[in-house]
Amino acid sequence: MIQKINEPNLMRETFIKFQKGSEVISELTEISVGVTPHEIVYSEDKMKLLHYKTTVKNPCPVPVLMVYALVNRYYILDLSPDKSVIKNLLDRGFDVYAIDWGYPSGMDRYLTIDDYVNGYLNNAVDYVRNKSGADKISLLGVCVGGTLSVMFAALHPEKVKNLISFVSPIDFNTDKSLLNIWAKDMDVDKIVDYYGIIPGDFLNMGFLLLDPFRLLIDKYVGFFEHIDDKKNVENFLRMEKWIFDSPGQAGEAYRQFMKDCYQENLLIKNRMEIGGKRINLKEISMPFLNIMAEFDHLVPNESSLPLTKAISSTDKESMVFPTGHIGMFVGSKSQNEVCPKIAQWLKPRSKKDENNIVVKKSKINHNKSKESMK
Amino acid sequence: MSMDESPNIFFAPWLKVWKASFGHIGDFPAVGPSREKTEKMMKGYPLFTDLYSVWMDSVSDFANISLEAMKRMNDKTALMDGRTSPDKYKEIYNNWIETYSDTFKEFLRSGHFSGDMGKFMSSLIEAGKYNREMLEENFLKPMNLPTSTDIDEINRELYSLKKTVKELNRKINELSQEK
Repeated sequence: MIQKINEPNLMRETFIKFQKGSEVISELTEISVGVTPHEIVYSEDKMKLLHYKTTVKNPCPVPVLMVYALVNRYYILDLSPDKSVIKNLLDRGFDVYAIDWGYPSGMDRYLTIDDYVNGYLNNAVDYVRNKSGADKISLLGVCVGGTLSVMFAALHPEKVKNLISFVSPIDFNTDKSLLNIWAKDMDVDKIVDYYGIIPGDFLNMGFLLLDPFRLLIDKYVGFFEHIDDKKNVENFLRMEKWIFDSPGQAGEAYRQFMKDCYQENLLIKNRMEIGGKRINLKEISMPFLNIMAEFDHLVPNESSLPLTKAISSTDKESMVFPTGHIGMFVGSKSQNEVCPKIAQWLKPRSKKDENNIVVKKSKINHNKSKESMK
Repeated sequence: MSMDESPNIFFAPWLKVWKASFGHIGDFPAVGPSREKTEKMMKGYPLFTDLYSVWMDSVSDFANISLEAMKRMNDKTALMDGRTSPDKYKEIYNNWIETYSDTFKEFLRSGHFSGDMGKFMSSLIEAGKYNREMLEENFLKPMNLPTSTDIDEINRELYSLKKTVKELNRKINELSQEK
């Protein structure tokens, strides 16, 4: 059996570590996230469209619009300067925009997927097309943002030059993720009718339950083991901020997504409808890149891979990286492998078509707001 | 008697007796000037009994799985030698996390947990809804303050108006471009 420990040096070392750790924490003032220079170029209700400052002289003429999920915040794509998918793509010569969906409040409870896809996303795409002069743009949809982007690309293929689905669920008929298993037994109507706006904490509870011992205990033990390392503490707190920065979900959009996708799996069967229009994945014929994480516990590869087959594009490719869902955005592989591969795939496909160079400069109906952020 | 059985051995017969006796309180016809309010209040009995029942099911499940994890952990520590060092403590901790995490994940993956969680969520929301209704009935309405239904109606109207305004703006823009 284990006997009483007698290690005075270890006690001393641990004390010094915690002393240094408390100094590190007390020196921290604010945890900054999303620091890549940008401006808000368009806003509509809670949604904001961010345009990032290009870092090269002649960026690619076809801009990239990043569409993040409605769950959690977009700045996981720009967590810190050395862990930023956005900065990486800017440095590789792309003109990058991103959508911040904001925090829905009571009056947003009736927003539907149609409002998100054919409303906000469509208007953001039109804005980017107008501003850049490109007839079609590249859409990079992340997680459920990718699912929304796929819906958009199927309904408005004439506006999308390239489509990238980044760890996005499309086929929900899998038991590889606990979320898919649990969703089947949820009384979604009851939840939506009661809450209206589905609280972020409710969703967080589900995410923490995926692996409670690691996410509620081991993670913090790991943090205290490296508490004297300033960089480690900063990165940990940034991630912590992001994880628990969880906007609520618009009830009606949540209802349809859970029922049509998670419970009835209509999207991959080309039977899902939004705004009275059926989403036919065969309408997606533009170049398509399907990016997956091998150890994704939220969106298993089985959920993303079928999309590559379901669309009619002839120029299509699937890539799997040996990392997890979050590692795709902030892990070392994200910067060193994922972003370079995206750029390598996207660059040759981001030349303006000769016969379709400039989009008609139409006035778009929106509450344009230019608000300098940096 | 194992841990998973203990809550049910007491609770299952109790629930049966309750449902056959006091559980009917919610079905009694209310009388008098505030009969509607009384009837609503009575509806709380079966709701909270249901919630307690599904809660006990969950407690029983978690007690069972905790016991299983503990057994697995015991098996692992029995194989460890008796050396004493900080590394050994770390090893025990790592084993503990790994064993508990894996055992619970097996359980969380089961249809049994999923079904129970669905029922628990459902009962929890029913109870929450009841509490809200009682709050509205007993406090908000007498004070002429808006209830969640009133606010929802306004939100729905706002949503509808916003949508109409956006559509009209879009049409105005289209028409002005045609000129």
